[in-house]
Amino acid sequence: MLLEATSTMDFIGQKFADFLTYTGFANVAWANIIMIAVGAFFIWLAIKKDFEPLLLIPIGLGIILGNIPFKAAGLEIGLYEDNSVLNIFYQGVRQGWYPPLIFLGIGALTDFSALIANPKMMLIGAAAQFGIFGAYIIALALGFEPNQAAGIAIIGGADGPTAIFLSSKLSPNLMGAIAVCAYSYMALVPVIQPFIMRALTTKKEKLIKMKKNREVSQTERILFPIVGLLITTFIVPSGLPLLGMLFFGNLLKESTKTTRLAKTAGAALNDIVVMLLGLTVGCSTQASEFLTMDTILIFVLGACAFMIASASGVLFVKLMNVFLPQGKKINPLIGNAGVSAVPMAARISNQEGLKADPHNYLLMHAMGPNVAGVIGSAVAAGVLLGFLS
Amino acid sequence: MKKYVLFAFALIVAVAVKAQGAHDFKINEVFIANPEVSDFAGYQDEYGEVGSWIEIMNTSYTTHDIRSCFLTNDRAVLNEKLSAPERIAMMSLIPKGDIRTNLAGRQFVTFFADGNTNRSSLHLNFKLEAGKENFIALYDGNGITLLDQVIVPADLKPGYSYARVSKEDPNTKEISYEWVQLEPSKVTPNNANDGSQVSDKIADWKEKDPHGIAMAIISMSIVFGCLILLFAFFFTFGWILNRMAKLNRVKAIRKIHESAERLVVIAKEGAETKGIEMENYAAAISLALHEYMGNMHDVESGVLTIQHHASAWETKDHMLRHTPELHHQ
Repeated sequence: MLLEATSTMDFIGQKFADFLTYTGFANVAWANIIMIAVGAFFIWLAIKKDFEPLLLIPIGLGIILGNIPFKAAGLEIGLYEDNSVLNIFYQGVRQGWYPPLIFLGIGALTDFSALIANPKMMLIGAAAQFGIFGAYIIALALGFEPNQAAGIAIIGGADGPTAIFLSSKLSPNLMGAIAVCAYSYMALVPVIQPFIMRALTTKKEKLIKMKKNREVSQTERILFPIVGLLITTFIVPSGLPLLGMLFFGNLLKESTKTTRLAKTAGAALNDIVVMLLGLTVGCSTQASEFLTMDTILIFVLGACAFMIASASGVLFVKLMNVFLPQGKKINPLIGNAGVSAVPMAARISNQEGLKADPHNYLLMHAMGPNVAGVIGSAVAAGVLLGFLS
Repeated sequence: MKKYVLFAFALIVAVAVKAQGAHDFKINEVFIANPEVSDFAGYQDEYGEVGSWIEIMNTSYTTHDIRSCFLTNDRAVLNEKLSAPERIAMMSLIPKGDIRTNLAGRQFVTFFADGNTNRSSLHLNFKLEAGKENFIALYDGNGITLLDQVIVPADLKPGYSYARVSKEDPNTKEISYEWVQLEPSKVTPNNANDGSQVSDKIADWKEKDPHGIAMAIISMSIVFGCLILLFAFFFTFGWILNRMAKLNRVKAIRKIHESAERLVVIAKEGAETKGIEMENYAAAISLALHEYMGNMHDVESGVLTIQHHASAWETKDHMLRHTPELHHQ
C-alpha cells in the first residue's frame, strides 16, 4: 500500500515537473521580456496618448501574445506552427489577402469628391511617393537586396496594408518589422510631420486661402472608381489586388444602390480584418525574428521614408505654386497629406493651417492629396511588385 | 428571361474557365529510354525501374488537375472524322483520385510510358520507341480538344531528353519556346528545364541598377503617369460638365428672353389697342420673373432654417414627471 502511494507521488511529482517545463517561466528569454514591454508600450500609447488605438491595441496585444514563451513540443499553438489557430489567422497576412480586404473598406469609407473637384491634387499624391523611392535608394546603399529594399521603402507610402501586402510578396522574412514600423509611423504622423511642414513653409505661404471646392455631381462620383480602376490597372496590372478592391469599395458607396454592402465593407468587415491583421502582425514579431539589427535599420529607413515623403509633398506644392496664377495658389501645408495616412495627415494640415490663421480651414482641401496618396502608394506598390516579384 | 440570360452567361464563363485551365497544360520534356545505354541512371518509377517518361507542366500560376485528360502516341487520333469514343480508345486516360495529378501553378508531373497502367495512375498504356520518330499528344477530357502535341525526332541522342525551353529575346524581352535536345546532365524530370534563358529579375536590378536611381525614375514616372491621366480625365470631364451647365443656363435665359419679347409685343399691342388691363400686364411680368427666378435657382443652398418657437408645452412643469407623493393613512 505504502509502496503504491510512493509510486503515485513520484508519478505526480514527475508530471508536475514535466508541466513546469512547459510554462512560460521555464522558457522565457530576455528578448521575450523586451518584446512584451514593447507591446505594453504600444497599448499605453494607444490608450493614454490616443495614437491610432484601433491599430496599436491589436498590434500591442499581438506582440505580447507572440512573445509568450512556450516549449516547442508540437502543441500547435504558436503563430509559426502549422494548424494552430493563430497560424490560420496569419495566412491572411502571409498570403496577402487581408490588405485588399482593408482596401475594400477604405474604398467604401472614402469620399473622393475633394479630389474630383480639384483633380490637380492628384499630382501632390504622386509627388509624395518619392519618399518610397528615396528610401529604396538609401536601403540599397545600406546593403539590402532590391526586394528587401522595396519592402522597407514602401513604409514611405504611410499605408500599413500596402506595406504588408508588398513585404509579404517581396520580403516575407522582414514583414513583421516592416508592418510594425509602418503602423508605428502612421500613428506618429502628428509627431513627425508638423516640424517638416513648418520648416519648409514661409509665414506668407501658410496664410494662403484656397477657394471652396465646387460641387461634384453623382455621375462624377460613380465614374471615378470605374475610370480610376481602368487607368491605374491598365498601366500597373500588378496593383490589381489593392486598386481593384479600393475602387470596388468606392463604387459600392457611390452607386447608392448597394448601401448595405458599402456599410458592411466599411464597418463590420473592415473591423474584423483590422483586428485579425493587427493581432497577427503583432504576433509575428517574435523576439528571435524581430530583435535584430535589420529591424533597427528598418525603423531608421522607415523614418527617412516618411520624412522624405512628407517633405516632397510640401515642396511639390511650392513648385506648383510657381506656375499657378494668383488666386489659384495652393497652401503648401496640404502637401504633407500626399502620404496616404488617411485622414490623419489631412488633419495635421488643418491643424497647422489653423495655427497660422484661425479662420483657414484646410481639411477638405487636404483630403484631396490624402486620398490621391492612397492611390499613389498602391500604384507604387504595384510597380515594385511588377519589377521585383 | 433575366434568369435564362444569367444562366447562359454563367455557363459560358464556366466553360471558358474550364477550357482555360486545361489549355495551361503543356508537354514539357520527353525522355525515351534507349536499350543501347544500359548503365544509364535515369528517373526511376515507384518500382525502381528506369524507362521512358513524359513530363507535363502546368504553365499557369494557379492549381489545375490534369485528371481525366488523355495522353497518346497514336497519330490516328488526328483524324477529325473519328468520333470521341473511337479516339479515346486510342489514348491513355489519366485517372482520377491521385493527388499527384493536381498541379499547383508552374509545377510538373511525370508519366511513365511503359505500358503498365496497373502500376499506378502515373503509368501510361503505351511505350515510346528509341531510334524512331515519336508522336505524343495531350488531349482534354472530351477526347476531342487537342491541348498540346510534340514529335520527338528519331535522331534523339541516347541519354538525351527532348525538352521545351524558354528563350528571352534580348531586344524585345519577349519569351518564346523552342524544343531542344538536352544532354544527360541537364535532364530534369519534375523540374524546370535547364537551358532557360529568362533572367532573374532581382539579380538583374541589382546588377544594372545598384543605386536604385533607375528604379526611382521609372517608378515615379509610372506613378505620375497614372495620376496625370486621372487628373486629365477628371479635369476635362469637370470642364465639360461645367460647360454643359453653362449652356443649359444660356438656353434657359434665351427662352425667358423669347417669352419676355413675346410679352412685350403683347403689351405693346395691348397698349395700342387699349385692350389690356393693368392687372393682366402685372401678372404677365410676374409670371416671367417667376420663371426666370425659378430657373436661376436650380441649386439650393442646402441650409435649413427652422426657427425655434417656445410654447407652454416646453415648460418644465409639462416636461418633467411629478414627484410621487406619499399618502399616509
